[in-house]
Amino acid sequence: MAKRTLALCRQAPYGSALAREGLEAVLAAAAMDRAPELLFLCDGIFQLLDNQEPGAIDQKSLRRNLQALPMFGVETIHVCERSLMERGVDTGQITIAGVDIQRVDDTGGFIAAFDTVLSF
Amino acid sequence: MTLHIVSKSPYSSKALADCLGAFAEGDALLLIEDGIYALSGRMPESIAASPVYCLQADAEARGLPIPEKIEAIDDARWVELCTQHNPIVSWFK
Amino acid sequence: MKFSLAVYSAPHSSQSAASALRFARALLEQGHQLYRVFFYCDGVHNGSGLAAPPQDEVDLVGEWQSLQREQQLDLVVCIAAAQRRGVLNEREAQRLEKPAANLAEGFELAGLGQLADALVNSDRLVTFGD
Repeated sequence: MAKRTLALCRQAPYGSALAREGLEAVLAAAAMDRAPELLFLCDGIFQLLDNQEPGAIDQKSLRRNLQALPMFGVETIHVCERSLMERGVDTGQITIAGVDIQRVDDTGGFIAAFDTVLSF
Repeated sequence: MTLHIVSKSPYSSKALADCLGAFAEGDALLLIEDGIYALSGRMPESIAASPVYCLQADAEARGLPIPEKIEAIDDARWVELCTQHNPIVSWFK
Repeated sequence: MKFSLAVYSAPHSSQSAASALRFARALLEQGHQLYRVFFYCDGVHNGSGLAAPPQDEVDLVGEWQSLQREQQLDLVVCIAAAQRRGVLNEREAQRLEKPAANLAEGFELAGLGQLADALVNSDRLVTFGD
């Protein structure tokens, strides 16, 4: 049976490199037909916000990486429900064309079902 | 079940709190590096019934006594824990 | 069991890279296999041949190199992360017209595909970050 891999995306974008470098690792795996599943939690949910304009701080948009996901066969991402609520973000603020956003309640149970986790 | 490795102090980082928010029944917690400082003061109630380990060497380095309910382990046992659990998640920010 | 490690932290800036080395040694002592150590983000600095810590401090780069020689380890430094942070081998330094190369012997520059490959070919992945 194929190994199930999960990428845990927990960092806000732009303030630290880990958010971007995490997505680059995900896309590299996806390009090899080995896309992990994705769970955005904690400040990682901020990576998904619409209306990001990082040109204002001379950075590339992280959303371009997110928008590339469906091109590599990643059509579903998961988001921690509680992380959204704690941060006052509703699903209306996070849309990625071609990607279905599934909300997860029981993140512990969700994570435990995987064989390997990439901790970003 | 998952092995969660926390390496930051709960007094300066949300790593442990975030970890506990993603804890499932049967998961285990390993405190390493500055994560050891969670042993100073009260451990959160939510993991009272879960296996909690700490690296002996990290506790010794920091001069922290190890509470009875926490199992202090060496590197060999750390490796063994990793073979007994899957997946392994690191909480370091 | 086959392990791979992902190391995101620079040596000396935090304890994390040293913990990774300890864990690597311990798993090998227990008879397990270390398939790959993938250095990513600031972890690429573990592959810098220019690090010169004082004599009374651990030379982490040197320690990784010793372990690599002893055990024929696959120490991979992510090329994209390394370019951003100034860790280059001879070929990259020439190609990018930089004044020097500094990748330490025993380490190799390679792409993120090597991390994906490590996930497929290992039983366990342990991440060391800061």
